[in-house]
Amino acid sequence: MPVAFDRVRPTVVWIALAVALLVPALASGSLYLLTTASIALVFMIYSEAWNFLAASGQGSLGHAAFFGLGAYASALTASRFGLPPALTILFGGLFAAGIGLLIGLTCVRLKEWFLAMVTFGFAIIIQTLMVSQFAGISGGWDGTAAPALVPSSVPFAPYVQYYLVLAVLIVVLLVFRRLLRGRVGLAFAAIRENEVEARASGIDPVRYRLFAFGLSACVAGIAGALEIHQFGYVTPEVFGTDISFWPIIYSISGGLGTLAGPLVGTVAVTVLWEGLRGVGLTYARFVIVGLLLILTVIFLPSGLVSLPRRFQAWRRQVEKGEADVPVSDAEIG
Amino acid sequence: MAIDVSTLLQILFWGLYAGCIYILLATGVNLIFGVMKTVNFAHGELLMIGAYVTWTLFSLTGLNPYLLLVATVPVLLLFGIAVQRLAFRPVLGSHKLNEIFLSIGLIYLFQNGAAMIWGGDYQSLRSPFESIAFDIGSFRLPLDYVIIIAVTVAILVGLQLLLRRTRLGLALRATSQNRKAAMLSGINVERMDMLAFGLGAALAGAAGTLWAVSGQVFDPYMGSVPAVKAFAIVILGGLGSIPGAIIGGLFYGVAESAATFTLGGAWKDAISFVVLIVVLVIRPTGLFGERGE
Repeated sequence: MPVAFDRVRPTVVWIALAVALLVPALASGSLYLLTTASIALVFMIYSEAWNFLAASGQGSLGHAAFFGLGAYASALTASRFGLPPALTILFGGLFAAGIGLLIGLTCVRLKEWFLAMVTFGFAIIIQTLMVSQFAGISGGWDGTAAPALVPSSVPFAPYVQYYLVLAVLIVVLLVFRRLLRGRVGLAFAAIRENEVEARASGIDPVRYRLFAFGLSACVAGIAGALEIHQFGYVTPEVFGTDISFWPIIYSISGGLGTLAGPLVGTVAVTVLWEGLRGVGLTYARFVIVGLLLILTVIFLPSGLVSLPRRFQAWRRQVEKGEADVPVSDAEIG
Repeated sequence: MAIDVSTLLQILFWGLYAGCIYILLATGVNLIFGVMKTVNFAHGELLMIGAYVTWTLFSLTGLNPYLLLVATVPVLLLFGIAVQRLAFRPVLGSHKLNEIFLSIGLIYLFQNGAAMIWGGDYQSLRSPFESIAFDIGSFRLPLDYVIIIAVTVAILVGLQLLLRRTRLGLALRATSQNRKAAMLSGINVERMDMLAFGLGAALAGAAGTLWAVSGQVFDPYMGSVPAVKAFAIVILGGLGSIPGAIIGGLFYGVAESAATFTLGGAWKDAISFVVLIVVLVIRPTGLFGERGE
């Protein structure tokens, strides 16, 4: 897995931030566009969480479990105890982290297959449990209501909501950036590249993997809670396989292991997704996204963020190639 | 709850019959893993495709669905070979996570491709023998259970003969034991990859036919739950071990059946996860797993 924590130029970061701040203005009163943008931000948080776990060399195929557990934990505590969603979202994150650590404990010592199989199974099983054993608490397939993130009595509620989610995303990005550029990032790279050597240099892979698992589950849980408090209800569909697969698709298409990757991927795939919806495709949308994922893994394993670098390398080659041509011609002549 | 002999028999046969389908699925996963060292997460979708192929052939010909195994299995064999060649071959050996992510793309592709071809609704097939059953005391043993168990045994014996008695099987086993040494002795290991994946897909296809014939409904999204059970069996029996898949599958089928009878139907699917976690905590390499990789 090619992983590089590319340094993005500060100008690019400022432009991206400016665009993110201006989106509500650009949406020009269209509530649909604003909601889509707001949900895209939630999925950026979620994808960053998944990507952080991938940076430690662990691929989860069932992150919807943590997304959904955070959502349910937050929705239930908010509606049962009348607590403000801003508080219960944190509880959702902590709850997801706790379950995540338990799941992580059983498989961090094992090869990547096991983690993938266990997480894949966990999300599906928890959905089954939610509609059977826990139907009394969870409301079964009908789901349960979740109080609004920002009460509609607040003026400009949808806008406040958007900026709130954006603020959470920025905090998450800053935390991950600090971690990945420091000791933790170096330890992750060492574990990914060669576990034996990492151990020899005093890094405990189990501890770092567990830490990655717990933090990733926590952030995924917060993202889940943020989403459902915007929708106003939560159903067991949050545990569905497509919710598990979106962060994978966003992260891989953008660039695995980079901070910018999930952001770029979420924007690119969301635009494509909404575009295909506009054309009126239903099942074919998933087929196209599935095909694109396969093609990306095969032909562009470092994702969209690697395109500028690839383009530069290609241009250099072309320039060199052009410079070479006369020489070789001269040789032949 | 009073447990008498006929209830026990019922639990046992239901477990054997359910186990058969999972065994075929898990054997395929292990065969592919043994040779390619890749877990195909889209394996449940191959079962789904197998069910639909049988259903289509049945609608076209009206033949006995059990006979249609003869047609479904080769279709899935070729399909598996094509999938391996087009999707897995280009990323093989690059990084394990890449192969996992590729399967995710395949799941999307297969589920929604199937929904485009066959529609998103539930379908089902009826066995011509569904009214025939043997009475053993107060326990009724449907003929279909007997046929499904017999068919599975025949397929597994055939697979074992292929692996143990033919040069091709020798080459497959050599590749799974030591890829480089196999290459050095003149085995085309890339062809073995295609063959292993094809055989795995064929087994999943057979499982799909049996799934449909046994009267269980199927839709394009039904593959994940059987796949999770197959993974539980694979972990129980040991990743890459075919005897492990068979014994694990039998054990799992009976455990699921017993859980359904004693704890209620809601536990039917959840038990797989309990098995998965318990095995991972107690013995992560499984009952027959290779020690360390």
